[in-house]
Amino acid sequence: MHFLRSRVASLGLLLAVAVTPACQRAAYVAKPTLAPATAQPVGQTLPPDPKIAALIEPYQQKVTQQMAEVIGNAPVALKKNPGESPLANFIADIQRQRASAAMGSPIDVGVITNGGLRAEIPAGPIKLGGIFELMPFENELVVLDVPGPVMQQLFDYSARIKMAISGATYTVGPDGKATSILIGGKSFNLAATYTVAISDYLAGGGDNMVFFKTIKPRGTGVLLRNAIADHIRQLTKEGKPVEAKVEGRVR
Amino acid sequence: MNRRDFLKNSTLGAASLSLLGVPALAADTKGSRLTILHTNDMHSRIEPFPEGSGQFAGMGGMARRATLIQQIRAQEPNVLLLDSGDVFQGTPYFNFFEGELEFKLMSQMGYDAGTLGNHDFDNGLEGLAKQLPNANFPFLIANYDFSQTLLAGRFQPYKVFTKAGHRIGVFGLGIEMAGLVADKNFGKTVYLDPIATARTTVARLRDTERCDLVVCLSHLGYQYKNEKVDDHKLAAQVAGIDLILGGHTHTFLDAPVPIDGPNGHRTLINQVGWSGINLGRIDYEFERKSRRPSVASASVVPVRTA
Repeated sequence: MHFLRSRVASLGLLLAVAVTPACQRAAYVAKPTLAPATAQPVGQTLPPDPKIAALIEPYQQKVTQQMAEVIGNAPVALKKNPGESPLANFIADIQRQRASAAMGSPIDVGVITNGGLRAEIPAGPIKLGGIFELMPFENELVVLDVPGPVMQQLFDYSARIKMAISGATYTVGPDGKATSILIGGKSFNLAATYTVAISDYLAGGGDNMVFFKTIKPRGTGVLLRNAIADHIRQLTKEGKPVEAKVEGRVR
Repeated sequence: MNRRDFLKNSTLGAASLSLLGVPALAADTKGSRLTILHTNDMHSRIEPFPEGSGQFAGMGGMARRATLIQQIRAQEPNVLLLDSGDVFQGTPYFNFFEGELEFKLMSQMGYDAGTLGNHDFDNGLEGLAKQLPNANFPFLIANYDFSQTLLAGRFQPYKVFTKAGHRIGVFGLGIEMAGLVADKNFGKTVYLDPIATARTTVARLRDTERCDLVVCLSHLGYQYKNEKVDDHKLAAQVAGIDLILGGHTHTFLDAPVPIDGPNGHRTLINQVGWSGINLGRIDYEFERKSRRPSVASASVVPVRTA
């Protein structure tokens, strides 16, 4: 039997070597056998694993404590919607103001897209947790020095979605292009260079703002989320409510 | 090992024997079972979605996922637990602790491997490097070249797991970061073409590594209408991947989607939404190959016995 087996095996070996390429494939096939639910819901009927829950607990306490802090008050909800919105105006204004303070010189415009605003600010007390919902990303506030022709591209991009820009107004023409552009109350000058306060995400070409990609951003070292929270805290300190409105930045 | 044992133990010898139809040795066709569990885009969702957060309120939570995994481990001897990236970002846990807790929990839950998603770079290469010591499992990524960065040498393209006597090759593919991740956050990481990289990696896993099952952890995304590479294009263009566990697009699939790729090789694609709302499960049985097409013409080949 030993003799037979080794002979047969050797024969098989030679046969395999002779007819297959140098790379030998494994001799098993893996056949999927699908469970009734290949996406098994992690729902409330499952008890929490005690070891995992114990590992989470100290972290959870810290988070809960910090997120519950009330930093301001909004008499009316700051909502977002396509086109010019109270929330987008509020954030874009903060960007422009904070970047001006960080750089020590006035910044012409502030830019934020709707996609970057992940939650609205509801009416009532504003908790720090709410600002994390609004701005969960670790985006840094940066400044771009943007030549006129690229600014034109920004306004064309904005006109397509009627997006407002802090520090500027414009009209969407019948052809869908931006016209009557005013920056800081003055007519847009194609030969000038403008400063733009924006997130590092958008500055890097995010949300299809590809026209900004070639411009080297100047960092402020300020996280956008912290800029928002700091601004709301400052308003509260001055006894002011958190409010913003649509004021005709896009016509 | 003597010669006879070598032949008896090698899949090469075993396959040849069964091909020749030696009855006494051809009986082992039942095989054994592997259970693959997987997640994608967990986005720092440590706790279940809070009440009032819409359709997913009360869903997810890592302590509950751990219980489900434990229940399955109690029933199945061979489990691989895998993740397809974007562990980071989405709740204050990430903002405050920078991914430390996510990696610690995944380690405790017994994750075998993961790949890297674009959000795993949200705190830059330094931020990722800082958290790696909290993960006791590897991140596999074949198409990011970190050699010019501080992450050089920290990742492998693939890992071969041995489960129930079978070799399971798992490799990772990441999405193009330019435009998606701030330039400074991925630095000099070089993105390599996923299709070409997958072909090379699969060939290596199938041939050199003699894997019986090849799994791709992909953060490319499920399906795009444009030219951008996605899991469907990957499956259609690269032969030899058995299973693509996807991510990035937060796609919920009721069942894995089969795609017939080159050479008639069938690939399954699965993705289970995001935030740990679901745990994916796919089981495999291993069966001896009954007949290999490449050996069909064996009779015309001159054979000499030893």
